[in-house]
Amino acid sequence: MKHNQNIERDRELLLGLTRNDDRALATIYKENYPSILRMVLQYNGSEDDAKDLFQEAMIVLYEKAGKGEFDLYSKLKTYLYAVCRHLWLKKLQTGSWQLALPEELEEVLPAEETDSLAEHEEKDQQFRIMEKTMGDMGEPCKTILEDYYVRKMSMQDIAEKFGYTNSENAKNQKYKCLMRLKKLFFEQYKSKT
Amino acid sequence: MNEFSLIRDIERYLEGEMNEQEKAAFESLRQSDPVVDEQVLAHQQLIQQLEYFGRRTALQNKMDAIHASLANNHVSAPSPVPAPKKVFVISRRLVLNMAAAASIALLASISTIALMQKASRQKTTAEYEDVRRVLNHIQRSQNALIHDINSSKKAPVNPGTYGGTGFAISNNGYVVTNYHVIAGADSIYIQNTKGEAFKAASVFEDISSDLAILKITDSTFKGQPLPYSLKPQRALRGEEVFTLGYPRDEIVYGEGYISAQTGFNGDSAAYQVSIPVNPGNSGAPLMDNKGDVVGIITGKQTTSDGIAFAVKSAHLKRLLEQMPKEKLPKKEWNHKNKLEGLNRVDQVKKVEEFVYMVKVYN
Repeated sequence: MKHNQNIERDRELLLGLTRNDDRALATIYKENYPSILRMVLQYNGSEDDAKDLFQEAMIVLYEKAGKGEFDLYSKLKTYLYAVCRHLWLKKLQTGSWQLALPEELEEVLPAEETDSLAEHEEKDQQFRIMEKTMGDMGEPCKTILEDYYVRKMSMQDIAEKFGYTNSENAKNQKYKCLMRLKKLFFEQYKSKT
Repeated sequence: MNEFSLIRDIERYLEGEMNEQEKAAFESLRQSDPVVDEQVLAHQQLIQQLEYFGRRTALQNKMDAIHASLANNHVSAPSPVPAPKKVFVISRRLVLNMAAAASIALLASISTIALMQKASRQKTTAEYEDVRRVLNHIQRSQNALIHDINSSKKAPVNPGTYGGTGFAISNNGYVVTNYHVIAGADSIYIQNTKGEAFKAASVFEDISSDLAILKITDSTFKGQPLPYSLKPQRALRGEEVFTLGYPRDEIVYGEGYISAQTGFNGDSAAYQVSIPVNPGNSGAPLMDNKGDVVGIITGKQTTSDGIAFAVKSAHLKRLLEQMPKEKLPKKEWNHKNKLEGLNRVDQVKKVEEFVYMVKVYN
C-alpha cells in the first residue's frame, strides 16, 4: 500500500512539474538533491559537481515530463539516481569530467531511458548553440527576444518598455532581431552538425 | 521578396496574424516556391529552439534559487537556541583571586604544551626517513647508502646528486614524484628502463603532501597511452599491493600489503604499507592487484622494519584537479585499466615502461 501511495505522490509531483508549478519543482529538488550530493561527495566529487549533475538530471526529467509520455515505472528517486549515474558515465567518456565513476555504480539503464538520454544530448547541444547565439546578440535584440519568448510578454508591453510608439514598430524591430538570430544560429548549427 | 519581408510574413503566418486572403496567398507561395517552404520550416525550428531555450533558462534560474535557499537553510539550520542568561553577583576580591589562579593555570598549560611539542618534533625527525637516494655512491651496499643519507642530512657540505622514482600520469610527459626528491634541484632528468634520459622540469609542487608534478621538456620524448588509472577509492587494509622503483640503477619489484589507513603520525592522506622500501623508492607507484595506482611511496619509519608510507592516489587526484588549468596534463589517469586479469609478470612488464628514475642535480 505504502509503495502505491508513493508512486501516486510522485505522479502528482510530476504533473506539477509539467504545469510549471514552482512548489512541485522545489519539493522534488529538496527531496532528491541530498542523496545525489552524498553520492558525489562520497567519491571525492565537489558540491558543484553534484549541483551540475543533479540539475542536468532534473532537466532530463523536465523534458520527459513535458512530453507527457512519462510512465512512472519506478520511484522518482530511483529514476533520478539512475539518470545521474548515466550522465556521470557520459561526462567521463567525453572527458568533461575527471571524476571516475565507481564501478559499483556502473549500472545499466533500461533501453528506453538510454534513448531519451540520447535525445536529451542532442537537445542539450542545440541549447548550447542557442545559448551562445543569444549571448552574441546585441541589445536591444537580446532583451526583446527574451521578453517575448522567455518571459512571454505581449508586444504591446515590450513596445512600452522600449519606448516604441506602437506595437507595430516593436514588431518590426523583433523581425529584424529574428533575422539576425536566424543567421547566427544556423551558421553555428551547420558548423557543429 | 527581400529577406525582411519574408521573415515578417513567416512570423505573421505562424503567429496567426494574417487574414484569410493573405494566408491563402502565402500558402500558395509556399507550395510553389520550395525556398520559401524551407525558410518556414527553418523558422519554426528556430522558434522552437528559442522557446526551449526560454523554458530551460527559466527552469535553471528556478533551480538555482531553490539551490541557494537549500544552502542557506543548511547553514542556518543548526543555529543553537541561545541559553538563558544567569546573573551572578561576584565580589571584587573573588574576581582578583580567580584571575590570579587562572593565569597561573594558563601559564602552566602553555609551557607543558610547548615542551611536549618540542619533544614530539624531535621524535618525528628521528623516526621518519625519506627514501631518496644519493647517486654518488651507487656501487656501495644498501646499508652504506642509508648511512650516506643520514650523514648528508647532518652536513650537506658538498651537495650530492639525488635520485628517486617517478611514474607517468599522462601520455604527454607528465610525471609524478615526491617533492623531497626534487627539492632544491638545479636540473632534473628522468630515465626509463631502456636507459634513455629526458630533461624534465617541475610544474607543480605540494609540500604538505610531499608530491611534485614534473613535465618532460625534451622534444625527443614520445608518450604512450597509460595502461593504468589512478584509483579514486581507498585501498582496504590487507589489500595486496606491489611497487616498482629504482633503489639501484635497475628497476626493482617489491610486494606487500596495506597495513593501515593512515600514514605517519596519523596522516589521513597517506597509507601505512608493509613493503620493502629502500633509498631511491621515493615517488614509486603503489599498485593494487588490478594494476591501478593506489598510492605513491614517500618514506619509511626508521625505528622499525617493514613500515613504509604512501600518499593516497585520491589525494594526488585532488591535487591534479587543483592545478592551474594551463598546466594541467591531459585527463588520462581515468582511462580504463588495461592490466586487470593479467598475471603479475605481465603487469610488471607493462607498467615498468611508465616508471622512471628521477635524477636530480644540485
